[in-house]
Amino acid sequence: MIEEGKPLFVQIAEEVEDSIIDGSIAEEAQAPSTNELAAFYRINPATAAKGVNMLVDKGVLYKRRGIGMFVSPGARDLLLSERRSLFALRYVQPLLAEARKIGLGPADVADLIRVSAEPTTPTTPTTPTTPPTLEPSDRRTS
Amino acid sequence: MNPVIEVRNLTKRYKDTLALDNVSFDIQKDTIYGFLGRNGAGKTTAMSILTAQNLPTSGQVRVFGENPYENARVLSRMCFVRESQKYPDDATPRHAFASARLFFPRWDQELADELIDEFQLPLKRTIKKLSRGQLSAVGVIIGLASRAEITFFDEPYLGLDAVARQIFYDRLLADYAEHPRTVLLSSHLIDEVSNLIERVLVIDAGRIIMDESTDDAREQATNVVGDAATIERALQGREVIHRESLGRVASITFLGRLDDAERAALTAAGLELAPVSLQQLIVRRTQQRTPHHDALAASDVTQEGVSR
Amino acid sequence: MTALDSGNVTRPAASHSRTLNVVRLQFVNTQTFIWVPALVLGGAWVVTMLIYWILQGAGVDDVKIGGGSQAPLWYFLAVGIQAMTMTFPFSQAMSLTRREFYIGSLAAAGVSGLGMAVVFVLLGLLERATDGYGMNGYFAYLEWVWEAGPLAAGLTYFVLTMFFFIIGFWSATIFKRFGTARLVMVLLGIGLVLVGLAALVTRQQAWPDVWSWFIDTGSLGLTLWAVLVSALLAAGSYLTLRTMPA
Repeated sequence: MIEEGKPLFVQIAEEVEDSIIDGSIAEEAQAPSTNELAAFYRINPATAAKGVNMLVDKGVLYKRRGIGMFVSPGARDLLLSERRSLFALRYVQPLLAEARKIGLGPADVADLIRVSAEPTTPTTPTTPTTPPTLEPSDRRTS
Repeated sequence: MNPVIEVRNLTKRYKDTLALDNVSFDIQKDTIYGFLGRNGAGKTTAMSILTAQNLPTSGQVRVFGENPYENARVLSRMCFVRESQKYPDDATPRHAFASARLFFPRWDQELADELIDEFQLPLKRTIKKLSRGQLSAVGVIIGLASRAEITFFDEPYLGLDAVARQIFYDRLLADYAEHPRTVLLSSHLIDEVSNLIERVLVIDAGRIIMDESTDDAREQATNVVGDAATIERALQGREVIHRESLGRVASITFLGRLDDAERAALTAAGLELAPVSLQQLIVRRTQQRTPHHDALAASDVTQEGVSR
Repeated sequence: MTALDSGNVTRPAASHSRTLNVVRLQFVNTQTFIWVPALVLGGAWVVTMLIYWILQGAGVDDVKIGGGSQAPLWYFLAVGIQAMTMTFPFSQAMSLTRREFYIGSLAAAGVSGLGMAVVFVLLGLLERATDGYGMNGYFAYLEWVWEAGPLAAGLTYFVLTMFFFIIGFWSATIFKRFGTARLVMVLLGIGLVLVGLAALVTRQQAWPDVWSWFIDTGSLGLTLWAVLVSALLAAGSYLTLRTMPA
């Protein structure tokens, strides 16, 4: 899981973000503590704390005095829009760079994506090509 | 910043070797340090002097603001686990732990018992009959359970298998999280400990060549692979600390960070960028004198300038 | 088992309790400090008794005096050496100061030496009461040592024990710190000084005066001199240890 090249605390923050995006930690639910993160990922607690603080600064987590860290309302939307804006940079550009190296143009790549996304057998459910719809977030207040 | 140890102009000369060459550094409170360097670089000498087990030739050491030499008040707050620790001849692990309990005011017997269990350490066998790994386990248990405010582990893992080392790392982290304290961990297994340590202190040939946060150290160098001529052009002016080549393909490690634009430019030129692990970085920077040594020495000065 | 096994240790803090704990640390080596000295003393006593018994059987009724009770004293050289070499490195791992370690080790030797002295005095009293076990044979009751009474005899025995311990401890310190060559040089130096003194006495033809001084001073007086010499040696030994790397 832990890889070189990205600061460790950023990776920890992204792990927590992933849990929020996939809904395994709901908004307003308690987030894992610094020490829990440190023990789970086997990293220095100071590094975990740095990751958590980064999420606090971003408004993804907030602190309840004496209790711990909680997921801010609206955190999931915030993270989704951030990830979507990063999607091109992180995934599409490397894809195009590799394609260029082996002589494929953007149109070829687009075709390949379309083909890969199509069901291979009738039993496989269709993969949505549109971005996943947002959950209704009626609990949002602020 | 809240240093618990302050070292100034520390020099230690043995008959014909200079083990420590005018080193100065601080150790911050409640921080886990990786104290790294090659064999004979001066790690053990430095730790011996900090714990007053050895005396400096010149220079100053302050621990908790005082000179540690013959100072029971300071010494009782420290624990030094040596790789080659000697024990009394008739002593068993039980004796060693009973002694440690007498002398370390924050000794936690419960933790010691748990660790004895986890390491499956035979308590009643004399220590001289223990295996190398069991001997190391005795030291590790004393180091963890003493909960000293400053704990030095000098290559504590010799003979410990991967499972036992993982127990040590996990226990160190867990206990540190609950009872923050200062730890200096000297190790050659840099990859294994790199996620545990908050700061790195690297010593080479008796001099401190790195003293910075682990995060900063990780970003200090980058590796680039690709067409040799392209790389040479792209990296002009950079400090190269390692190069290898295979035909026309070169792999070059250089110091300094890249901004996003530079990154994109290199990638666009068909070069592959890869991060340099802490272990690789330290291996490169403490390698035997290479033709690049002078460039390195120059970069040391700038590094120090930055980290002060 | 040993002193350290007795559970219920209170939390240590002050330096004097740390020094006392060094005694317990040293007594981890029960063999060094208790069993071997007891064995040497007991063995010497048994052998002496056997010899007296054989002599008695052969019809020798004279007063029989043996030097067997010296044996355990010499053994304290070895105790001193082991107290230093075995336990000093571990004492450093226990974050002790050299002073705590040294005073604690002396105290440990003192406990052991006191035990020896008590046994010595009890044996002597027994011999005095039974006219040498009814064999006119004496192991501990040596008239010259006992001339100032049982307490003085015990003191003499105790002081000699400590004297040998300190010499052993210092020699081991010099050996560990400077190596064999230096130790041999120191011992040779001491030998030379002693020979020089002997030569001086011989040249001045003062041997009769020296002997009469020894006799006049008596065992108690000599013991007090030995206390002084031991104290000087102890100070020297500490100074050597004080700046010794672990």
